[in-house]
Amino acid sequence: MSGSSEVNLKQTLRKIEYPLCAQEALKKIGELLCSRTTNIKSMDLSLDLMAEFVFWEVDRRGNKRPHPLTPLAELELIEILFEYLSNIPNEATRNTLFLNLFSPITANIRLGVLSKLVSLAVGIPNSNILVCASTWMQQLGNTSISSCKLAESIVFDYIHLATKPEERLKTLPEIAPPFVANLLTAVAENYYVTKKDRKYPPDVLLSCITNWISENSTLCMAAQLRQAALPPGAIAMEATTPIAGLLKWCVLAPIYRQDQEIYSKLYLALLNSISEIPKSNPPRAINVQHLTAIVTPLVQYFRDLKSRDESKNLIITDVPLQLALDRFGQAIQIALSVNAVYGNLDELFNSLQNLPFNKLLSIVINRYNQNKVTVIIV
Amino acid sequence: MEIDLEQTDEEYVIQRAKECFKTDPYSAKAWMLTAKSLYPNNFTVQFEAYLIEKDAGNVKEAAKCFSDLISKFQQTPDLWKEIEKVTVALRSETDTDDVETQFLCEMFKHISSEVQHKLLLFTADHCEDTMEHCRLLLLLLQRFPTAISSYGPRLVDTLMSAEKHSVDGYYPINSYRKLLVCELLPLLAKQEIKLDLNQKLLLKLLNKAIEYYLCYLGRSSTTIQDTESSIENTWFKLFSVIEFIGKQLNWEPYLINFTLNWSKETYWQKILNYCQSKPKNNMYDDKQLLFCLSLFFMYCLNEYNASLFPESSPGQTSTHYLLVEAFTDPTLPNPMSEPKSKKRKSDTDIIHTTNPYISVEKPDLKAIHSNFLMCVNCWDLLYSSESLHREFLKIHSNLKIDSWLSVFVIDFAIYRARYDEALICCQKISDNNMLLQKYIRLASIFYIKKNYSSCLEPILLALPLLPANNPGVLSNNLIVGGNQRHLHYLPLTKMAMLQYIVKVLLRCIKENMGKHDYSELSIGHIFVLVQLDWPQEEDFIPALLEEIQQHRSFQYHLFQNYIINVDIMEELTYLWTSQGGQIHLEIIPNLGSQRRIGTRGADKGAKEELKQAIKKQVARSNEKLDDLLINFIQNERALLLQTLV
Repeated sequence: MSGSSEVNLKQTLRKIEYPLCAQEALKKIGELLCSRTTNIKSMDLSLDLMAEFVFWEVDRRGNKRPHPLTPLAELELIEILFEYLSNIPNEATRNTLFLNLFSPITANIRLGVLSKLVSLAVGIPNSNILVCASTWMQQLGNTSISSCKLAESIVFDYIHLATKPEERLKTLPEIAPPFVANLLTAVAENYYVTKKDRKYPPDVLLSCITNWISENSTLCMAAQLRQAALPPGAIAMEATTPIAGLLKWCVLAPIYRQDQEIYSKLYLALLNSISEIPKSNPPRAINVQHLTAIVTPLVQYFRDLKSRDESKNLIITDVPLQLALDRFGQAIQIALSVNAVYGNLDELFNSLQNLPFNKLLSIVINRYNQNKVTVIIV
Repeated sequence: MEIDLEQTDEEYVIQRAKECFKTDPYSAKAWMLTAKSLYPNNFTVQFEAYLIEKDAGNVKEAAKCFSDLISKFQQTPDLWKEIEKVTVALRSETDTDDVETQFLCEMFKHISSEVQHKLLLFTADHCEDTMEHCRLLLLLLQRFPTAISSYGPRLVDTLMSAEKHSVDGYYPINSYRKLLVCELLPLLAKQEIKLDLNQKLLLKLLNKAIEYYLCYLGRSSTTIQDTESSIENTWFKLFSVIEFIGKQLNWEPYLINFTLNWSKETYWQKILNYCQSKPKNNMYDDKQLLFCLSLFFMYCLNEYNASLFPESSPGQTSTHYLLVEAFTDPTLPNPMSEPKSKKRKSDTDIIHTTNPYISVEKPDLKAIHSNFLMCVNCWDLLYSSESLHREFLKIHSNLKIDSWLSVFVIDFAIYRARYDEALICCQKISDNNMLLQKYIRLASIFYIKKNYSSCLEPILLALPLLPANNPGVLSNNLIVGGNQRHLHYLPLTKMAMLQYIVKVLLRCIKENMGKHDYSELSIGHIFVLVQLDWPQEEDFIPALLEEIQQHRSFQYHLFQNYIINVDIMEELTYLWTSQGGQIHLEIIPNLGSQRRIGTRGADKGAKEELKQAIKKQVARSNEKLDDLLINFIQNERALLLQTLV
């Protein structure tokens, strides 16, 4: 496209009122990004069009607009985006547009629109857009700040605001399993973070997640099981499974006095999911570092306990700690038995040495060391 | 939490799981998962995990554990016991309220079909008892119809060879055969698939099924509790076997369809159509004609035999019927000229035009007749070609259905007037229950063959066998009009048979009289014999009286013992009077030798004596004739024989 036609295009679009021009601009952007010959120039043009005509961020001269979109205009924009995206038949095209509209650079400022768009897709529900959102989370990293913020926003909309969220969200894993998997990974990051004002997942969210995983033991692996359709040349990013993140909740729950029975159930569902992880060589389901990360808060708790009481017996008989260690040991054992953990396992087992005695954990550690010896001998 | 140092790691983990099962089932399961993952090759741990799930009533989880166990620990006896429990449960599924049985059946449903299959197959393979093995394989096939194509033929083989080697294998109704015929074949038939079974084997199966069901029918006909419906049902089952085998062998669909609006007449028509559609020379090599026709014949034969022994109403003695050569009287109207018989003739051209007239005792027994004719049709067709006949004989000798055929072959020979053949067959009968029939038939055949002197012996043998518990009545159907042959289904009651015997004997004596000049003994015997169903045969009398008149004297010393019929006595005393010709009667033993009666006025005393004797006889005229005649035949055998030689 020549420079003059670029100007003409913008002139034409400027004559159309917002948000109708967004609709027209989206069509143009679609053509620019998904035509067989894309170049830097057309990429630039499409970025310009997004900023000026779709998201109303800059004016004709490229200056930032002083006022953001009114809530009403934003709502209209979301509707236009929803209609446009959900009607694109080709998944790769849809993902390409979505990833460009909410690129890593712009995602942060457009997160409000993004969150509301995805929230709408969850409520409808619309699997086309949920697939886009899933791909987006995965390509940006499903534990990235953007993904976590999106997750937070969805949780806020559905867990805090909606009535009967469990019922509303019941079928979501059937409609968009990879999206739910990525969402869970991100959600897991938002709680039990070692900070002063540590946040715990609300019970409704817990029971919702528990139901999902209990009824569908492959859900946690869903993002890894399905390859997203990406723009040509894009590198697919490996999805982190929610397993380690959610395990962390369950293992740490006792020491933070989160004693609800639901943790026990969620934990069992996770173990079942782990034991059914399909064989893969090399393993890719659980990053050993994510498991190792659980050790730190446990050690911290143990130290706090020790500083309060010198008697070692008390520590061994500290029920919450032993429960946490039991759970941790069980999870490690089962994950190892199905060869689901990747990374340097020695690192994990070295860090386990810092934990107080637990019979199961010691069985697991012994088992690990024995196997290692066998492997070396063989 | 106490730590027991003696405890092994395995025991520790299992104990933890058990401990929290009541308080926190989720955590208990987590422990169980851990235990299973830590000790995947430890049977005790894995089995414990299964038992915990089972005790908790968790069907799905128990199924999962059980599947793991089966794939890993097939050789462990404890598991075998459990597997056995499952297979036992599966077989008693429908008829039990037992909680464990129901749980195990439910659990079985949650096991992947691959493992289910494996379970049944392994159980079957490890089963030392062949019967059990077959039952399990059958269970497998019932549960997994998809396995039929691979295991169905194998099970057929196993059952057949097991039967061969089993103790009761020589007898068609044995447990293996029952499984093969009653369970496996219907299961195979249900699948609309072509099975990997060759023609020879399929025909062998068909033979086995026929043999089994026919034997079953043969047995049930002697037991009272088997009802008509179950016999019908048996035929239905047998027909479905031929339907199945026929389908496998691509037989004509119309020949193996026994269900839709089936009737004997339409099926016979189909067989005729089939024969007409085939070129004459190769039609008889045809297995489908052979089997369809043979089976159909057997069905008709079974119906025929059953109709010969109709069921009696409760409390009454059942009456059997026997086809015998009966008698005709040209002076009576001919029943063959009735329009009904014409219609029958045009029905099928196989029936010979010189067929005898066949009568039954009462109209509701007509089925005997039509059943017989259908058997005759089949029999004729079976004998119409040498190869067909040869093949049928093979089937027939395999099936050992001689007892079924024994009655029919004689009936057929009599029907076709092949008396020598009939005679040989009769003489072969050794079954004690058939002796009466045998003797009656022999007497009848000897009479027809004009071998009068041989008649008496079977008659004498028959008399003691007459059924005292089934007195019956005299028949009105033994004589019909016309000149054609007459066959009758004689009720096997005391009266009807005695009547028949007497009639045969009477005719023997009468027809034998030509050999002698003037046989006063024959005439006297005839006087005795006609009494039984007097006056049905009074036509015999006038000619005899005339003969006496010609010879002017009549000597019969048995008069006082056996002649009590008033009419006959009246005729005789008339002869004695002057109007009657003053015939010299020597009928009172003591008088005869000393004084001659009839010499005009010579001996008034003798005359008086005769009068007294006649009076005495008249007083006896209400005596029971059946006993009188039985006594007569039994006591006077020597004098009877004199008149028959």
